Amino acid sequence: MKGLEIIKKAFSLEEVDRVPWVPFVGCHGANITGVTAAEYLKSADLIFNGVSKSIEIYNPDGIPVVFDLQIEAEALGCQLAWSDDNPPAVISHMLSEGKSLSDLRIPTVHDGRIPVVIEATRKIRKAYPDIALYGLITGPYTLALHLLGTDIFLKMMEAPVEVHELLEFTKKVGLAMTKYYIDAGCDVIAVVDPMTSQIDPGSFEMFVHSPAKEIFDFIRSEEKLSSFFVCGHAQQNIEAMCATGPDNVSIDENIPLDFVRDIALKNKISFGGNLKLTVVLLMGTPDDARRDAMECIDLGGKKGFVLAPGCDLPGDTPIENIQAVSELVHDEYLQNVERAKEKSDIQLDLLNMKDYGRVNKVIVDIITLDSESCAPCQYMVEAVKRIAPYFEGIVEWHEHAIKKMEAVTFMSSLLVKNIPTICIDGKIAFVSKIPPQNELIAAIQKRINEKLKLIISSQKAEILILGISEQECQLAKDKVELAIKETGKEILVKTSTLQTDREKFGVLNTPSIVLTEHKIKAQGDVPSVDVIKEWLKEI
Amino acid sequence: MEELLSKIAHCVEFGKVDKTAPYPPDMKGQEGADELTKQAIEQGIPAETILKEALVIGMDKVGVKFSEKKIFIPQMLMSAKAMNAAIEHLKPFFQSGEVKRKGKFIIATVQGDLHDIGKNLVKMSIEGAGWEVIDLGVDVKAEKVIASIEQNPGAIVGLSALLTTTMANMKNSVADIKAKYPESIVMVGGAPVSQGFCNEIGADFYAPDPQAAVAFLKAK
Repeated sequence: MKGLEIIKKAFSLEEVDRVPWVPFVGCHGANITGVTAAEYLKSADLIFNGVSKSIEIYNPDGIPVVFDLQIEAEALGCQLAWSDDNPPAVISHMLSEGKSLSDLRIPTVHDGRIPVVIEATRKIRKAYPDIALYGLITGPYTLALHLLGTDIFLKMMEAPVEVHELLEFTKKVGLAMTKYYIDAGCDVIAVVDPMTSQIDPGSFEMFVHSPAKEIFDFIRSEEKLSSFFVCGHAQQNIEAMCATGPDNVSIDENIPLDFVRDIALKNKISFGGNLKLTVVLLMGTPDDARRDAMECIDLGGKKGFVLAPGCDLPGDTPIENIQAVSELVHDEYLQNVERAKEKSDIQLDLLNMKDYGRVNKVIVDIITLDSESCAPCQYMVEAVKRIAPYFEGIVEWHEHAIKKMEAVTFMSSLLVKNIPTICIDGKIAFVSKIPPQNELIAAIQKRINEKLKLIISSQKAEILILGISEQECQLAKDKVELAIKETGKEILVKTSTLQTDREKFGVLNTPSIVLTEHKIKAQGDVPSVDVIKEWLKEI
Repeated sequence: MEELLSKIAHCVEFGKVDKTAPYPPDMKGQEGADELTKQAIEQGIPAETILKEALVIGMDKVGVKFSEKKIFIPQMLMSAKAMNAAIEHLKPFFQSGEVKRKGKFIIATVQGDLHDIGKNLVKMSIEGAGWEVIDLGVDVKAEKVIASIEQNPGAIVGLSALLTTTMANMKNSVADIKAKYPESIVMVGGAPVSQGFCNEIGADFYAPDPQAAVAFLKAK
C-alpha cells in the first residue's frame, strides 16, 4: 500500500504496514532541477518538473505542490523580496502602511501567483493520480502577521477587536485558497501557521481557535483531509491546535515527537514530523539521516504517524540524505539494521580482537541480524554451510545474530558496520553481498595458505646441546648441523657444559639434545584471557 | 523611593505602559512606567538607580517568565514598550555619561534574512540589562558587522537567523568575523539554530532565548 491510500489510513489512525513518508519539497524542487527559487515559484511548469523529479527520486506517499507562505500575502498586495535559493519574504505589511482592512478583497483564483500554483496542482494531479497531494495554505494568524506586521502582537493586547476582525478576514482568504486547491485536485489541505508558535495558549484560544476550526470544518465537509503545520517552539499550543479539529498535526524538531504523539493520539488526531532539517538533513550524512529517521519512525509508530521533515526542506539539502530516509522507509530490513546499530553505539566495552584467529583452524564468523527472519542473512549463512564440508576439520563457522547483545559487542569489536557480513579469522571478507561458492572457497583457501605460511615462518627453534665437555658436545653438534643443513631450516644451535643447565632441564645422561620451539602469538599488545586460553589448548 | 522603584519594576514586568493603556486589564486606569519614571526623576532618584533597581529587575522577571514559557512574545513586547517609555526619561542621563553602561553589544539578523522580532526581543532584553546595544538591523552582511566591531572595540556580537536557509549565511558571517577578529565573542540565536549548529560553525554561545543571552553577558 502506498500514496494517498496509506496516508488516508494513517490520518484515520488505522494501523499501517509501514510509516508513510511526505518530504516537504518546496524550493528544494528548484535546486534539484537546476533553477532558482524565484524562477521556480513563478512557473507551473518548473514546479511540475521539481515535484516530478522529487517523486521519482524520493518515492514519497505524499508531497506538497509548493511550500510558499507568501502566495496569499502577495495576491493581497504585500511586496515580496525574492531570493535565488529561499522562498520569498514579505517586506511590506499593507495594514501598517496606510491601508485598512476595508481596502482588501479576498483574492480570486486569478490573482498573484495563485493561477501558477493551481495550474501546477492540476498537472501534478493528472500525472500522479495516486499520490497524496498537499495544498499548503497560509494559516490565518501567519497571514494576519504578513498583513499587519509585528504590530499584531501589541494590538492583540491593546486593540483585540481589530485583531479579531483581521483574523476573520484571513480566515476567509484561507477558505478561498482551500477551495481553489481542492477544486484543482488536492487531497490534503495543510494549514501552515508557524507564527502561532510565538503566542500563548490563551491568545491562541482567543484569536486563532475559531478561524482555524472553521477552515478544518470546511475541509471535512468537502471530504478532504486536513493537517495543521506549525514550526518552532510551539509545545504550549499543541493541545489548542488539536482542539481546532484537524485530521493531523505536523511539527518540527523543536518539539519532541513523543510529546506531540501523546497529545495527538489522546485527541484521536494523527501526527507528523519531525526529521531534523538543518543539523541532520542539510549538514549531516546519509548515516545521520537514517539514524534520525529511524528514531522518528520508532517514536511515531505505525498508528497515525506520517514521517516528514520538520518544515520546508532547504534548497541545497543533499539528495542522498533525503534518499537515505526514503530507502529506510521502504525497507524493513534496513530499519532492523539501523536499530541494531543504535544498540552498538551504546556498547563501548569492545573486545581486543587483535590476536583473534591465531589458532590453527580458520574461523568463519557470519554477522547477521538473525538468519531466521532476515532473508539476506539466511542466504549468507547457507552459503557458508554449503562449503563447510570441503574444509571439514579445518574450518569452524559461527553465526552471530546481533539481536543478542554479545553479538553486537562482537560485531563492533570486529569493526563490522553492515549486515550481513562474513569475517574470516576476524577480518571482514564479504559485506552485504552473498559470495558465490567459488569465491568463498577461494577466500577461505587463501587464508588457510596464509596461515600455514605464517605457522611455518613463525616457528623459530633453538637446539641446545648439553655435555660434560666441549668435545662431547661438538660430536652431537656436527650431526645436528648437518641435519639442519639438509632440511634447510634456520635453527640456532648452542652448546653448554654447565651443570646448572643440565639441572634446569633435568638431564641425567650426556650428551643430551634439547629442542625449544618459539611461536610468536601476540605482538605489541596484550591479548584477552579468552584468546590466550585458545592457544593453551594446543599444548 | 523603594516603593516607587518597585512600582516601576512591576509596570515593566506586566507591560503597563502608561495611564491610558488598556493592558493589562487588571491595571486599567493606574499610572504606568511612563508616569512613574517621570515622578522618580522629579523626586531626584538617580537615573542609574532607576535603571538598576527598577528596569533591570522588571526585565529580569520578564526574561525568566519568557524562558519558562509562562509568557510569550505579545506579553514580552508589552513589557518592552513599558520599559522603553521609562528609558525615554533616562536617555538624557545616558547621553551625559551620568549612567554608565555595562558594555556594548552589536546585534544583527544575518544576510538574506528579514526577520526582526527575535532580534528586537533580544535587543531590548540586553538593553534592559544595562548594555548599550548597536542594532544593525536585518539582512546584514558580515562586512557591516566587522566595520561595527572596528568602531566599537570589544563589543560582543549577536547574530540572528530565522530561516533554515539563511543559517548558511550565519555560518559564513561567523567565519568572516572570526577571521578578522579572532578574539571577538559571537553569540547566535533564532528559531532553527541549535547548540549543535553553534558548535559546528564555531560561534561562542547559543542563546535559546533572550534570558540566556542576558545571563551570558552577565557572566562576562
